[in-house]
Amino acid sequence: MSDFDQMIVGEEWESTDLSLLETLDHVLNRGLVIAGEITISVADIDLIFVGLNVMVSSVETAKDVLRKHETTE
Amino acid sequence: MKLYLYCLAEGVDRLDKASRGVSGAAVRVIKIDDFSVLVSAYGGDVSAALNKNALAHNAVVRSVFTQTTPLPFRFGTLVEEEQLRSYVKTHRQALKNRLAHVRGCAEMNLRLIGPRKNAPPAPERAQPLGPGTKFLLDKRRELCGEEWRVEQTGELSTWLADKLGDLIRDEKIHLVPAESVLLAKVDHLVDRVNIPQYREKMAKAIAERPELRFMVSGPWPPYSFANIELEFSRQFGVI
Repeated sequence: MSDFDQMIVGEEWESTDLSLLETLDHVLNRGLVIAGEITISVADIDLIFVGLNVMVSSVETAKDVLRKHETTE
Repeated sequence: MKLYLYCLAEGVDRLDKASRGVSGAAVRVIKIDDFSVLVSAYGGDVSAALNKNALAHNAVVRSVFTQTTPLPFRFGTLVEEEQLRSYVKTHRQALKNRLAHVRGCAEMNLRLIGPRKNAPPAPERAQPLGPGTKFLLDKRRELCGEEWRVEQTGELSTWLADKLGDLIRDEKIHLVPAESVLLAKVDHLVDRVNIPQYREKMAKAIAERPELRFMVSGPWPPYSFANIELEFSRQFGVI
């Protein structure tokens, strides 16, 4: 179970998946950094970002967003 | 032996209960000047079973978040104890300022997606582009994108300020590049006592924008407002 609240407008999502994505987004992409001391390299950070960005969208919009995101990389 | 870092706080002398962190290691408190740093001995591979370890990291930070508002370290931070002490002493004032900034607060996150206004027309590709034309078109798109980003960020910030008023103590808006849709991530620093009011006002604001889809989550420890290096860089225009 999640220890924070989510208010989602639009579509139904599995709250456990959202909780995990949200937690990963916070601990992997944010927080106090001591320069040069992050010892792990998470190759799929962008995927997590993109996943979070599209999870409030419909599947079709999500596909469109992912395609556009890839072409702008 | 290296230390795995979870968060830095003031006034945490000990943990309420025995806590296990990343890789199942016992979490303890190291006192450095006025600060308390939650750490565990580094054992094993941090990146193994990433989800499990990321959740463990967050759980330790949250255990402190129930007592006070800490500055969470980013997942995967490993240092020698001497290096940690040197970092804290060197950045003492900046850390104090940052702790004062987040004191009594929590982070709320808002994500929204919707149709992009003023989307540029799709480029015509009747003929293959030469390298010069392609370069200029890319440059134009880059400049237009930056103008659009500034305009949209301002518009979104103004709208949120109008709806949430002085509930927002600090705000960060990140627009994700996409040609036809607006994707935005907004982080708000909010006094904990105001969180029910924040939710209520946000729900009303969301109802006024049926063209957008939203997700609000929180309260979180202030992950997005913890990084003193980024603040330093931003102030001096490095990023």
